Amino acid sequence: MFGNTSSSQPTVGFGGSGALSHTYIQYPPLRCRNDGSRGLFYDDGNKLLISPTSDKVRTVFNSVVSWKTSPFTPDVAPTTDTISDGPVLSVRYSLDAKLIAVQRSNHEVQFWVRETGETFSQKCRSESGSILGFFWTDCAVCDIVFVKTSGLDLYTYVPELKSLDLVETKKMNVSWYIYTHESRLIVIASGMQCKSFTGYQLSSAGIIRLPRFEMAMAKSDVNSKPVLAAEDVHIVTVYGRIYCLQVDRVAMLLHSYRFYRDAVIQQGSLPVYSSKIAVSVVDNVLLVHQVDAKVVILYDIFADSRTPVSAPLPLLIRGLPRTSISTSQSNRKDGEGSETTLLNDTASHLYSDDWNFLVPCLVCDVSTGFLWKIHLDLEASSDGWYAISASSSEVPSVLEFLQRRKLEAKKAKQLCLELTRSLILERRPLPMVFRAIEVLVNAFSYSLKTGSYSKGGKSEKPTVENSVGTGTSDEISSADASGKSIRTESASGVDRRTVHNSSVLTSDSEDNANFRKAKAKFLDINSSSGNIDRETSVASESQLHDNQPLNANVSEQQDSQVTSAAIAPDELYDFVFASVEEEMIADASYLFAIIVEFIRSANVEKIKLHPNIYVMVVRLLGRNERYAELGQFILNKIIEPSKEVALQLLETGRLHIQTRKLGLDMLRQLQLHHDYVVLLVQDRCYFEALRYARKNKVNSVRPALFLEAAYASNDPQRLAAVLRFFRDFIPGFGTTSEHGTYIRALADMDSSIAV
Amino acid sequence: MKKKMNKSKMLLVKQKMNKFEFVEPIADRGCFIDDAPTYHSPAFQSIGFPVNDKGILLSSSMGLSSAATATTTLSEALKFCIFDLRRGQHEGEELEKILFFFPADLPFPAQLAVIGLSEGLITFTRIFSPEAACEVIEAEMHSHVFFEAEPDIWMVMVVAKSKETEAIWRIEALRSVLKEVHSLFVMFHGSIRLMLDKEPGGGLIRSHLYTFIMDYLSDFLVGNKFVLPNFRDSLKERGTVQMLTVGREAAIEVQSLVGALDSCMGNTLGYSVILFQDLLVSTTLSPDDTINLFSYGSLRLTPRVLSSGGSTWSYLRKGNASSHTEPVSLLANTGSAFDRSHGFRDASSAGGDNYRIVRPLQHGKWSRGKDGFLVTDIWGVEVGNLVPTTPTIWLQQTEHKMYLCAYQHKSLTIILLVPVTSMLNGEEGISMLKQQLLENASAKIFKVEEKLAKGWGGENAYHVKGYRYLLVDGDRNISRASPAGKVTTLTKESLLALNKVREDVDLEKSRAKGDCVDHEKDLEICIRAKNNAWVIARATRGKELYIVLEKANETLLYASEAVEKFSDRYCNGAFSLD
Repeated sequence: MFGNTSSSQPTVGFGGSGALSHTYIQYPPLRCRNDGSRGLFYDDGNKLLISPTSDKVRTVFNSVVSWKTSPFTPDVAPTTDTISDGPVLSVRYSLDAKLIAVQRSNHEVQFWVRETGETFSQKCRSESGSILGFFWTDCAVCDIVFVKTSGLDLYTYVPELKSLDLVETKKMNVSWYIYTHESRLIVIASGMQCKSFTGYQLSSAGIIRLPRFEMAMAKSDVNSKPVLAAEDVHIVTVYGRIYCLQVDRVAMLLHSYRFYRDAVIQQGSLPVYSSKIAVSVVDNVLLVHQVDAKVVILYDIFADSRTPVSAPLPLLIRGLPRTSISTSQSNRKDGEGSETTLLNDTASHLYSDDWNFLVPCLVCDVSTGFLWKIHLDLEASSDGWYAISASSSEVPSVLEFLQRRKLEAKKAKQLCLELTRSLILERRPLPMVFRAIEVLVNAFSYSLKTGSYSKGGKSEKPTVENSVGTGTSDEISSADASGKSIRTESASGVDRRTVHNSSVLTSDSEDNANFRKAKAKFLDINSSSGNIDRETSVASESQLHDNQPLNANVSEQQDSQVTSAAIAPDELYDFVFASVEEEMIADASYLFAIIVEFIRSANVEKIKLHPNIYVMVVRLLGRNERYAELGQFILNKIIEPSKEVALQLLETGRLHIQTRKLGLDMLRQLQLHHDYVVLLVQDRCYFEALRYARKNKVNSVRPALFLEAAYASNDPQRLAAVLRFFRDFIPGFGTTSEHGTYIRALADMDSSIAV
Repeated sequence: MKKKMNKSKMLLVKQKMNKFEFVEPIADRGCFIDDAPTYHSPAFQSIGFPVNDKGILLSSSMGLSSAATATTTLSEALKFCIFDLRRGQHEGEELEKILFFFPADLPFPAQLAVIGLSEGLITFTRIFSPEAACEVIEAEMHSHVFFEAEPDIWMVMVVAKSKETEAIWRIEALRSVLKEVHSLFVMFHGSIRLMLDKEPGGGLIRSHLYTFIMDYLSDFLVGNKFVLPNFRDSLKERGTVQMLTVGREAAIEVQSLVGALDSCMGNTLGYSVILFQDLLVSTTLSPDDTINLFSYGSLRLTPRVLSSGGSTWSYLRKGNASSHTEPVSLLANTGSAFDRSHGFRDASSAGGDNYRIVRPLQHGKWSRGKDGFLVTDIWGVEVGNLVPTTPTIWLQQTEHKMYLCAYQHKSLTIILLVPVTSMLNGEEGISMLKQQLLENASAKIFKVEEKLAKGWGGENAYHVKGYRYLLVDGDRNISRASPAGKVTTLTKESLLALNKVREDVDLEKSRAKGDCVDHEKDLEICIRAKNNAWVIARATRGKELYIVLEKANETLLYASEAVEKFSDRYCNGAFSLD
């Protein structure tokens, strides 16, 4: 990726003044242009881009070339399947990839069994309506659904008979439909204006029929009856919730509807600035492409906020070789089929008419056959959030936003750390810092509960699944409960909750589907997808941000394991508290208040904290000579006892004897007998030490320690007593050379005392 | 006050008994009391003794007859004086040195006799122990307790001894009363010396001391006599703080509240103290200031005190509540008569050349306002808008003058202290602070109150069955004891024995203080009282534990094991090291 430096450079740095964009597509794209191709099809069930090609040599046969788009790698090798020649209206692989279905006409869909090459056809009688399309499903009752003008036909595939078996027909008028595999949801438009809708969700849990609903459309004048087009309706899946977005071209609004099991609730409208709108979802952030204006607006609709994440900004191409830009400028009109020209086209034809937006975040330029993946520039977008919410009180919500990001978890994490750090260094008002801390702790606690945070260890499968983007949904059954559900969701975190399948409209993600139907192969795809995505992004990011100190601290090996933006208390301590401590010496009580709040948040979430944090509390209190409060903290066990804390208490207690005692008591209560005895000796409490050692059978303390100390005190009585103690309680001590040495020493000191 | 002194004290007492025949307080014989002459001299007015408007020194004979008998008993039982050795050193000026004398109606010659004796002893004992002179005189009928409150300013308390009237004292307990009244005085009015320097005539300090100490002493008034801490209060330690024990979670919530309070006070270097009922929950003050504010808070600000309204005296002496009969009507009556007979006037009505005296310890002056803040007109009322002036106190350690702002929600009392210097616009700033508190901290306050109330075990929360104990942590000035109601079940013999043991420990401690500075002596005393109760005292590393076991087994082993068990369970094993 030699081109990294050129186009992406402006976005470097947190100041963000140079950030021109918060979304970008990364050069090079996936090139799926094949000679003789007859169009491109996207199979979102398998995330395949399919191009039927005609073989020029053998005219009878056609072949289907497909590219895996997930994981998204530019150099993925296509797989080719041969099918017979003929018109291709649509192609889809079955979910287990054993069959290829090709729609040949309005009445016929042809099937290939990939292993054997056998074929069979499913024809529909013309009087029962023409086929608008079909899709494979992992629904429990059927395998494939034909959408016809007269309704839905649900079939199961019978491998033995090599045929389809009609399970059920749902009769209705269908003007057009949209379906995404991601949501398992089909939305069917009917009526003159195509604005009344029915919907079905064909999930593994069964078929759920959505209540009929109408979409609102503004009229330009009283008599006009605008017709809603299929391209104006989008199904998006964000944080596992399913929304339907509808463009109202007259009102210039993007209406959003959220699907519940037994209700469809309009959620509000977003303004649009272009007659053509496309939507993508990257890492649960909604991207609304204002195609005419060639800009993107970002929304994070997690907390029902309708405020955009940032101002409208253009999409950027990253990684374009600089040379190609310059050549393209000079050779603009050459029209040669060289690559530079093609690239040039892309650069100048962002949002051209040839752009097809694929679910959830792909763009296919059908004229060039380039497939781009849209990325989110976290730094710029969190920056953008900053800019939008001019009041800096929004920092905690920026953190929330970052904590919800999964794809570039490491980056998000770093940004969070950096943000929190600067919050403290800039001495922002405490309530805000508290809220920020709470956000981070809650996010961490949530990730612990869901298992997406795995410290140090190998990232586990569930983790990866989460990171793919479409978590299991958490819809709540009734609209009445929705308010409540939102609250709990935002409190508890992002994606995967316990799914109450019975009452909940889920958009089964691939993960669930995989467990049920598809085999190991899919698991592989998914799990590797997450990793590779991250690794590539991480690699490029860390190159970009080498100048940032935080980056340097995190080893490369960790990078690949960061699967959640959640920040562990230890990391918060290391990268935030410990690193600001020096700079906050003058204002220790400010930092102290923050740490207390941190402890509180952690306690609420039942997270155990590393002793480091408590040590720091002791240090801060000691530095300000707030010994009385320190005592309260210890006695109330706000500071959890540990050896580290005890040692810090002893250290702090050098200036304050009562605090030192607290440290000693803590050692004793922790049953650290050895340390306790040694310290008693240091405090010249020889006899207490000896008695204690005897009572608790502390054998690790050498007699010499006591003897030396007693000798150094220059008190013959004391030395004699210590000697006597050892002679009485350690068998054979009287014969050791040590004994002899100190007996002589004693004799030198004062001969009048006999042992 | 040191071991040297102890010896010289003993010597003195002996000398007095045998050879020197010190004129033991004349008042004993009662010759000046019953036919007390009325002094009539303008001079008294000028030096600021309580004088009525005719310039006649108020004495018992001027008061109501009931008050007269009351004061008569009072003066027999207790004399209390404060004098300054730097004043009145010339003949004929002796009265100058008296800053306070109780009973005020005692004729001057009698007052001077008490002070003369004390001064003589101090001067004499200073020869042997210049740093810490006389501590106590034990005479046949009286104990004289000395306390040098400030350099050359001495407080002396003379208490009568009597086996019959339970007048058996522990000197340290009495001295801690002196200490307490002085620290409280300093907290509200600044040091005595400072006030003397301000007005060398002495009228200012005299009127302040008089009202203050009389208000303070009124707390000890039971029936028609003063009940000072005697042997029945052996399981109590004045000058320490009683803490509420809270769980970790509640403690964290409390800390979070403390943080919120801090931020309410903004950048000013303020402090907060939180009380639950009459127990301390949290403080950011230095230990000494905490003790003072805690004493004041539990005397005048706790919900219980406030809810009982004006006549709160029976509650103030909750420890003795069950051991003494307290006819409330008489108390109230005596109280007002007391006020009248001693010429108290309301600060607000004080005019002319009288001093405007703030009486922080006056009873029934605090109340809870609608907004939850505690209000009082003790500090006066702002002219015009009738808003009470915010109280101010002095911090002992930093000598900063602070506004005192108290807020109460149910059982929770929060005291905020804000430096006067940081409040440039005075009352306005305070009302802004209050607004801040209501807006930003009230949610937390409610939460904490709820949490603490849930975990609070009530009056007898710290009762340990079978034990009557007192646990003192000298390092943190904390003490905890069996609830007063439970202590009253002990027999007089046990309490007397305990009193004796405590005196012994006090003696050991004051000796040890002289011996070595760096660490405390461990000691253990275990005695069997006449009634077969075990009385045990242990002191180790700055902590003291006193236990009375009345229903104990015969053996010492049993008693010692019981203590061990107690130590392990309630003191983190602090007393069972060996």
